[in-house]
Amino acid sequence: MTQVIGTLKARLAVWLLVMVSGLGTLLLMEAYYSTQRAAERAFDSQLEAAALTTADSVQWEGSAPVVRIPPAALQILATSHQERVFYAVLDHNGRRISANLAISIPSAGRTAAAIAPTWLDLTQAGTRWRLHGREYDSAGWDIQNPVQIWVGHTISGRQVLASELFERAIIRFFAMVLLAGILMLLAMRVALKPMRQLRHRLRKRQADDMRPLNARVPEELREMVEALDTLFTRQRESRDNLLRFTADASHQLKTPLAGLQSTSELALQSRDPDEWYRALSDVHDGAKRTSRLAGQLLSLARLRHVEEADESLPLDLRKALHDSVLEWAQREVAMQHDLGLAELPAEPMLIQGQAWALRELLGNLIDNALRYTPPGSEITLGLNAIGNHIMLYIEDNGPGVDPEIHPRLFQPFERGGRQDTHGSGLGLAIVATIAQRHAAKLQVKERPPHGLRIEVHFQAAGEES
Amino acid sequence: MQRLWLTNALVLCLFSSSQSLAATPLVVEAALDRQVVAPLLAAFEQAHPGIELSYRDRSTLEVNALTAVADPPPDVVISSAMPWQMNRVNEGYAQRLDSELANEWPEWAKWRNEVFGFTFEPIVMAYRLDLARHMLPPQTHADLHKLLSTQRDTLQGKVTTYSPSKSGIGYTLFQQDARYTDRFWDLVTALGDADAHLESNTRAMLEGLSEGRYWLGYNLLGSYAMVWAQEHPEVIVQVPQDYALVVMRTGFIHRDAPHPRAAQAFMNFLLSRDGQRVLAAQTPLFSVRSDIVGPYTAQRLRDQVGDRLYPIPLNASVLAFVDPQRRDAFMARWQREFNRYQGVNDD
Repeated sequence: MTQVIGTLKARLAVWLLVMVSGLGTLLLMEAYYSTQRAAERAFDSQLEAAALTTADSVQWEGSAPVVRIPPAALQILATSHQERVFYAVLDHNGRRISANLAISIPSAGRTAAAIAPTWLDLTQAGTRWRLHGREYDSAGWDIQNPVQIWVGHTISGRQVLASELFERAIIRFFAMVLLAGILMLLAMRVALKPMRQLRHRLRKRQADDMRPLNARVPEELREMVEALDTLFTRQRESRDNLLRFTADASHQLKTPLAGLQSTSELALQSRDPDEWYRALSDVHDGAKRTSRLAGQLLSLARLRHVEEADESLPLDLRKALHDSVLEWAQREVAMQHDLGLAELPAEPMLIQGQAWALRELLGNLIDNALRYTPPGSEITLGLNAIGNHIMLYIEDNGPGVDPEIHPRLFQPFERGGRQDTHGSGLGLAIVATIAQRHAAKLQVKERPPHGLRIEVHFQAAGEES
Repeated sequence: MQRLWLTNALVLCLFSSSQSLAATPLVVEAALDRQVVAPLLAAFEQAHPGIELSYRDRSTLEVNALTAVADPPPDVVISSAMPWQMNRVNEGYAQRLDSELANEWPEWAKWRNEVFGFTFEPIVMAYRLDLARHMLPPQTHADLHKLLSTQRDTLQGKVTTYSPSKSGIGYTLFQQDARYTDRFWDLVTALGDADAHLESNTRAMLEGLSEGRYWLGYNLLGSYAMVWAQEHPEVIVQVPQDYALVVMRTGFIHRDAPHPRAAQAFMNFLLSRDGQRVLAAQTPLFSVRSDIVGPYTAQRLRDQVGDRLYPIPLNASVLAFVDPQRRDAFMARWQREFNRYQGVNDD
């Protein structure tokens, strides 16, 4: 069942949100500081202008500097925000020649102003002030000492301007985010268009249409389309296999049934009870064979199509092998063969598996060997541990199989090129299926001087990757 | 601990509000004649029976000094000496008034929403009818200067104006005159040459005119002069035709006002329609509001005199007038010009 884990749009939106909030915090912090700076600069330049205007009105009268504070300087200081204003003109000893407020200027500020124009922030009686000081070289006829000019104002205008600028920056930022969001949605629609087209194509496909997609897709979707194409190919192959199997099965069932039909027809034309008896026993043999064939077909179909509903458990192969050989050796079919067991290893041979399936595998291997070897042949089963593999083998000294046919031996209805047996041709196919379910590998070898050897390589339990 | 403090504050609030139900005192220090402003005070007391108004009429310099040193400080400070008022506000002695009325008050008549100009008083010349019999009365500053130069002998000792040293408002007016033109100093020289008498207030000048001591007065408060002229037909008021200065009485709530609510009520009343209507109808102080109809409104004055009204600005530039060095320099020049042809110091 497909599990829906949100939409791509939601994911992109979340990412956008995360990025916007992260970037936005940085941007807004930057905006805050730059607006503060901008406001600071704008108002500082007014302080500077006021200081220069004031400097212009300093004159020497005899041995004392005199300042006639110009009204314009005060109005420049007050700015349009009607700040409270401060000015002080100090002589070279730091004595106040003229001042309007009792704000004391730190001596550090005075020292700094003596070197270069300087700015100061200070708080006086709960009010924050911004001061600007600069030294002015003014020459009188008697004395030529520099005077220091200090001007200042309260900072409400700066705060108002900074918050106005900041507000505008915020509005700009959010407008940008909104725009980016809309553009992102549009871009997403465009970008997801190939996916929509692919979806339409898949939806429109007929159920039995297994051709490759042949879609025009961007690079990111190429792998998915290729995977889909591979899936289609595998499905086509598996369907073809199924059809072939069904056709073969029907063919295999048809032959014995046709034999039954002709035997019974012949018997019905005769009035002789002996004929009837002979025909009836023929029919019985044929029906038995057909029933066995049908049974094997069923078990193959079940093995192939029933998913692993049973739990696989660790089990000892030695016991399974021992039990199976013992059981088969007592059967009538094995009476004319020498069915034997090689010496089993001392330690347990544990694999992960299903007991019934392994029994079926061993049974088919033994049955197969009994059917395709002449009476009197030796059939030996054994176990070997090779590294982390457990090798189960069965060998006989029968006529063997043409090596060219070895690869085909495990296909259904393959009888190793022999027409002289009543085997269904399904035994080894069943073995192959069970081996596949246990992730085991099959190998067919010639047994010198003559005979066949089949090896099943299991993965030892506990070594599973 | 904090809760206790809060409770105390609450009790204090309740206490003070119950007290205000009885009668909140309100102290107003003002440089504004009580008899001129009496109708306004009466209207306020009628509108706010819960406030016990204590109105103290003083000179501008006294009011200025009290703002800084009075203990307890006054609630409201009113004065016509705009530079001193501005200086106190700049020093931080005022608190903001953020009422609707204050916010709507015209920008040119307030500063920082702390100090408000609530009257609009033109500065005028006044002369006796006797003068008109001898010469063409002056209509402009230039006329005045010419008259003083050409009729020096006739006008000797019969001219009066403010003393810049004794009167804050007089000093402010001369400073503003001097800002407009350097020819003002010629006028000062001519005044000194005519042996002009320097008075410390408009009332003294008007009395001198009515008594016949003076024939001509320069830079009188128009608000007082116009009322005087109505009762004394021998005095003619002339609004200068070149330019007429305008002073505003300004008021602010003291930063440490003991009764801030009452102070706010008083200031709001000054700015309100009711208060301004009283100003326009029953005092000669001229209402600032343009939506008031009455004989004394800024609007009516503008209609009569035209655009030649130059209010002394209520902004930081007037702070320069109270700068001691600037004041000293100004006074020195005044003395120099005034005594140029005399060698005698009248002042």
